[in-house]
Amino acid sequence: MASARILLVDDETAIQRAVGPLLRSHGYDVEITSTGESALTAFAAHEPDLMVLDLGLPDIGGVEVCRRIRAKSRVPIIVLSARSGEADKVNALDIGADDYVTKPFGPEELLARIRVALRRVATSAEAEGGVLAAGDLTVDYDRRRVLRDGAEIRLTPKEFELVSLLAHNHDRVLTHRVILKAIWGGNAVEQPEHLWTLVAAVRRKIERDPANPRYLLSEPWVGYRLSTTPPDSAD
Amino acid sequence: MRPMRAPRQHHETGAQSPALDVLAVGAGVAAVAAVTVICRYWLDVSNAATVSAAFLLVVLVVAATARLWAAVATSIAAVVTFNFFFLPPVGTLTIADPQNWVALLAFLAVSLIASQLSAAARTRATEAAARRDELARLFDLSRDILVMTDDGDARTTLARSVARRFHLSVVAMGLPASDEWTVFHGGTERVDIETREWTTTFAAAQATLEFDAHERTYAGHRIVTAGGHTFRLVPLRVGTRPIGVLATTGRTVEPGTLDTLAGLVAIAIERAELLEERKAAEVTRQSEALKTALLASLGHDLRTPLTAIRVAADNLQSSSLPQIDREDQAALIVVEVARLTRLFDNILEMARIDAGGVAAEARWTHPSEIVEAARAQVEPMLRGHTVTVTNTHDVPVLLDPRLTATALARVLENTAQYAPAHTPIDIQTAVTHEGLTVRVRDSGHGIAATDLPRLFDRFYRGAAAATRPAGTGMGLSIVRGLLDVVGGRVWAENAEGGGARFTIVIPAAVKDAVDDAGEV
Repeated sequence: MASARILLVDDETAIQRAVGPLLRSHGYDVEITSTGESALTAFAAHEPDLMVLDLGLPDIGGVEVCRRIRAKSRVPIIVLSARSGEADKVNALDIGADDYVTKPFGPEELLARIRVALRRVATSAEAEGGVLAAGDLTVDYDRRRVLRDGAEIRLTPKEFELVSLLAHNHDRVLTHRVILKAIWGGNAVEQPEHLWTLVAAVRRKIERDPANPRYLLSEPWVGYRLSTTPPDSAD
Repeated sequence: MRPMRAPRQHHETGAQSPALDVLAVGAGVAAVAAVTVICRYWLDVSNAATVSAAFLLVVLVVAATARLWAAVATSIAAVVTFNFFFLPPVGTLTIADPQNWVALLAFLAVSLIASQLSAAARTRATEAAARRDELARLFDLSRDILVMTDDGDARTTLARSVARRFHLSVVAMGLPASDEWTVFHGGTERVDIETREWTTTFAAAQATLEFDAHERTYAGHRIVTAGGHTFRLVPLRVGTRPIGVLATTGRTVEPGTLDTLAGLVAIAIERAELLEERKAAEVTRQSEALKTALLASLGHDLRTPLTAIRVAADNLQSSSLPQIDREDQAALIVVEVARLTRLFDNILEMARIDAGGVAAEARWTHPSEIVEAARAQVEPMLRGHTVTVTNTHDVPVLLDPRLTATALARVLENTAQYAPAHTPIDIQTAVTHEGLTVRVRDSGHGIAATDLPRLFDRFYRGAAAATRPAGTGMGLSIVRGLLDVVGGRVWAENAEGGGARFTIVIPAAVKDAVDDAGEV
C-alpha cells in the first residue's frame, strides 16, 4: 500500500502545509492543488489512487469537482468539510464521494479514512460479485445468504437488499438518500423512517450487541456504512 | 337665500346665528310692506285670496331660510297687515264680514304649518349635511391612518390627526400600561386629565357593553371637567373589547360619530402595535441572521487554523520528519496561532462595540505616533508591502490615540490583505480645522462597484469573497463601529490612477490652528 498517490485539493495554504508533510511522512506520494480546475487537470494528467478534496474551493466548488471526477473514475474521494457545509457534504456523498472528514480533524482520523478507502479498492477488485467477509460476518451475494460464524442468519428480502448494498460498498458512507433510492425507489427518498426501521431490524439480526453495532454503523445525519474493520483497531 | 355650503364648512355654521334670524324677520317684514304697497297703491288689488297668496309666498321664503320663530313673526306681521290694509273695514284691525275671519284664520294656519314643515325639512337637511360632514372627516382620518408608517410615534401622530380632522382643540388618547396610563396628546392645547377618570371610564367599559339606541352609541361615554374644559371620554374599542379611552373637547361632535371615531382610533392603535411588532420581529430576524453569519464565518475561520495547528503539532512529534519540514511546521503553528488571535481580537472588539463598551479617552497625540502604533499592530501583515508615510503638519491633536490607531490598523490590515503582495501602500495624515484625516491608498485592483455600498457592513466580504484571501468580514465593520464612538467617519473609493483609497476623518481639537492649506 506504500507509495499510493494522493491528490490533496485545498485552497488553504495552512492545510496544504500541514497535511502535505503528514501524508508524506506516512509514505504516500502527495500532489497538492488549490483550485477545482487545477484538481481536474492534475487528475487527468496522472490519475491518483485517492483524492482528498476540500469542499470550499474558490472556483468550481468541491461538489462539482466530485461530480466530474465520478463521471469518469471510481477513485476513492474523501471530502473535507466544515460543519457549516453540512449540506455540501451530503451532496458530495450523494453523488459518490466515499467518505468525509469534518474540520477540525486530527491526523489519525484522516489517515484512518485514507487507509480504509485504499483497502476497499484493493479488496473489492478481487471480491467483485462473490463473497464479502468482514470479521465473523460473511455476505454471500450469489446465494443471497448472510452467515455469522458459519450459521445462517435469516433475513427478509428487503433486509438482504440493505446488507448487500452496504456490503458492495463496504467502508463507504452511503447517504440516506442513496440507500432509500436504491431499495425503495426515487419516491421514498423523503421517508427516512422506512430506513430506520429496516436498519434496526437488520442490526437485531446481524449484530451481537445491537445497541453497540460493530458492522452496520450509523453516520449521524448523513447515512450508514458497513465497516469491515473492528472499531477499536482502526489501525 | 343662503348659499349652498360645502360639507366641510357646514358644521361650524350649522346652528344658524340669531342675528341672521333677525335679519330674516326684517327682510320678511320689509317684503310684507312691499307687497302691501304694490297691491294696495300700485296694482290696486283688493282680492283677499290674491293678496294672501302673495303674503304666503313671503312667509315661505322666510321659513325656508330662517328658523321657525322668524317665520312665525313674519306670519303675524303678514296677518296684521292683511287685516289692516285688505280686509274690510280697511284701515282698522276689525273684521266685519265673518267670511273674512275664515280667510284670515286660514291664512294664519297655512303660513304656520308651512313654516313648520319648512323648518323641519331644513333641520333634517342640516342633520344630513352634518352627518355627511362627519363621515367625510372619518374618511379623511381613516386615510391618515392607512398612510401612517411604523416610524416615529404613531400614536401621537394619530392623536394629532384626530384633532386636525375634527377641529378639536384638545385630544387626549389614554392607553393603559400595566398600572400607569400612557397619554398621547393632539390639538392646540395640552390638558392633563386625572388618572382616576381614565381608570373609571375604562373600568366601566370593561364591565358592561350596552348599546344606547337613542344616541346610536355604546354606552360608557362620560363627561368630565379638567383644566377648564369639559371633556367627553369615550372608550376605544376593538370590536367590543376596550383597549383605551379617548378624550375630546373643543367642538361638539355627535356621540354616534365619536363612537365610530373611537372605533377607528382603536383599530389604528392595534395596527400601530402590529407594525411595531413586525418591526421588532424583523430586527430580531436580522440579528439572528447576523449571529448565523457570525457562526458560519467562525466555523470556517476557526476550523482551518485549528486543523492546521493540530496536524502540524502531530507532525512535529513524528520522528521521521526532516529538519527542514520540522521548522516549517513550527512556523506554520506560529502563523496560525496569530491568525486565531486576530480572529479573537476581532470578535472581542466587535462585542465591545455592540455592548457600547468602547469609550473614547482623548489625549494630545501626534498623528505620526498613531500611524506608528497602527503599523506595529499589523506589522506581520504589512511585511510583504512597501509602506510609505507622509505626515503633513504633524502637530498634536486631541483624540483617543488607541482607538484611532486600532481603526487605522484594521484599514491597513484590510489593505494588506487585498492588495497584491509587494505593492506599495501609502499612508498620509493631515491636520485641518476639522480634525485628523488619514488616507490609506494601495496600488491593487481597486474596489468593485458592487462592493462599495456594503464594504463596511459586518461580515460582508465582497461579491467575489470565495476567490479572495481569507477574511472574516469583520475588520472594516469594526473600523466603522470604533469611529462611530468618536463621531468620526470612514469611506472608501477608487483612487484616480487605480487602487483603493480609504479615508478616515476624526474630529479633534488642534494644538495650533492650521488653515485649510494644510490639507493634502
